[in-house]
Amino acid sequence: MPKTSIKTNNLSKIYDKKTVIDNVSINLPYGGIIGVLGKNGAGKTTFLAMLMGLITPSDGEIFIFDKSLEFNKYEILKKINFQSPYVDLPKKITVMQNLIFYARLYDVEDPKKKILKLSEDLFIKDLLDNIYGTLSSGQKTRVNLCKALLNNPKLLLLDEPTASLDVSTSEFIRKYIISFQKKNSSTILITSHDLEEIEKMCSHIILLKDGKIKFDGKKNELIKQNKSSSLKEIFLKDD
Amino acid sequence: MINRILALLIRYKNISFGSVPRLLSIFYWPTVQILFWGYFTNFFMSNESFGIWSTLNIILSAVVLWDVLFRGQLGLTMSFFEELWSRNLPNLFITPLKDIELVYGLILTSFIRTLIGVTPAVFFANYFFNFHLFELGLYLIFLFFNLIVVGWSIGFIVSGLVLRYGQAFEELAWAIIFIILPFSCVYYPLNSLPEMVQGIALILPTVHIFESMRFLLIENKLILSNFIIIVALNIFYLTASTLFFLKMIFVARKRGILFNQGE
Repeated sequence: MPKTSIKTNNLSKIYDKKTVIDNVSINLPYGGIIGVLGKNGAGKTTFLAMLMGLITPSDGEIFIFDKSLEFNKYEILKKINFQSPYVDLPKKITVMQNLIFYARLYDVEDPKKKILKLSEDLFIKDLLDNIYGTLSSGQKTRVNLCKALLNNPKLLLLDEPTASLDVSTSEFIRKYIISFQKKNSSTILITSHDLEEIEKMCSHIILLKDGKIKFDGKKNELIKQNKSSSLKEIFLKDD
Repeated sequence: MINRILALLIRYKNISFGSVPRLLSIFYWPTVQILFWGYFTNFFMSNESFGIWSTLNIILSAVVLWDVLFRGQLGLTMSFFEELWSRNLPNLFITPLKDIELVYGLILTSFIRTLIGVTPAVFFANYFFNFHLFELGLYLIFLFFNLIVVGWSIGFIVSGLVLRYGQAFEELAWAIIFIILPFSCVYYPLNSLPEMVQGIALILPTVHIFESMRFLLIENKLILSNFIIIVALNIFYLTASTLFFLKMIFVARKRGILFNQGE
């Protein structure tokens, strides 16, 4: 088992002289659910995108499972997956066609069996033959989560996984993510504006402000350090 | 009422004049139409001796072969645009799919789409109009393949521009081959163009392809040097356009624009 899941050394991203990620160095242990918090424009999505190789850093290094992302990108990408409400799947084809496509890209053994198993767990089995574009946002989120779990990722990056979902679907997604993490001992990074959600799910918190790390450690330490009773209170104080 | 109509006018002015490709399309089309039909009429009038059927056969062959290029280019760009329009690019680029594998996938998809699209048209033309594109024999395969390669080269350039500069360049996907149409000598020979334009036209592989087609249909002979030029130009353009597309993916990663693409 690798020593660390994610390690960054002096990671920075600068767009046209504007620093979005500023000298971020972290060293995250393997396994667990980690919350990445920050206000709008704090750099959360850019940070996540850099960890997946979607955005090239301006400076610094990224190591995933102790290997340099720059030099082992495709080997690492086999073990990573991602879900975001701002990223979609082609709307004109069926759910099954979409999932089979990604299963092939990840070289999943027996893709149909894997999709059927996941779709049963996520209650989307009846939707497999539906055109993706006709699904509701709650159904789309579950299909996208299914896509994100096809390769049994050892590192799962979730960008606001419950954004704009109703209470019961959000609760279902949260529980499913927690059980997936326990079963697979994966590392899961979540960004969310729902601080109660982060508080419920995460043991480790990374707090970003203006692209800089403001806190990196155990959730309880953050609450204790700020003499607050919840994450929400810390955020409100900061305003 | 005047205020609301004025608001609409300003809005559509901003949309139409807000990007270079849209602006170009407004001014370019009338000129292209005049040039194209002007050269075409000149050729048609000066070759009455061919007989109407021979001339029509040349024109129909040119129409079908030009469509090969158009389908080849659209097959590639539309496949790529589907990923853009559905906001699926981040999903795609976080898989172990390599950029070069994407290139191969797009090329193969375009090839299959073009075959499916053009084959029925050729048979219909053959059946209804007694039109014999197959008279070109094995050379037809050579011309077909080289035209589709031109389509891929254009497709990679357009896809790269859209990836880098956004949706304003999507219009180019439909317009670009009509921009090169008057200089490609599809329906009239190279010498129909003014001398200065001929020099520019010669750098286009399409000129040599359609000159070869006409020579084969009229004289039943091939010009070997033309064939060599076609292959050389296509190798150059396909390599350059593929490298450009790959470079645009690299730039998109650097500028963080893979995340923000979509409808």
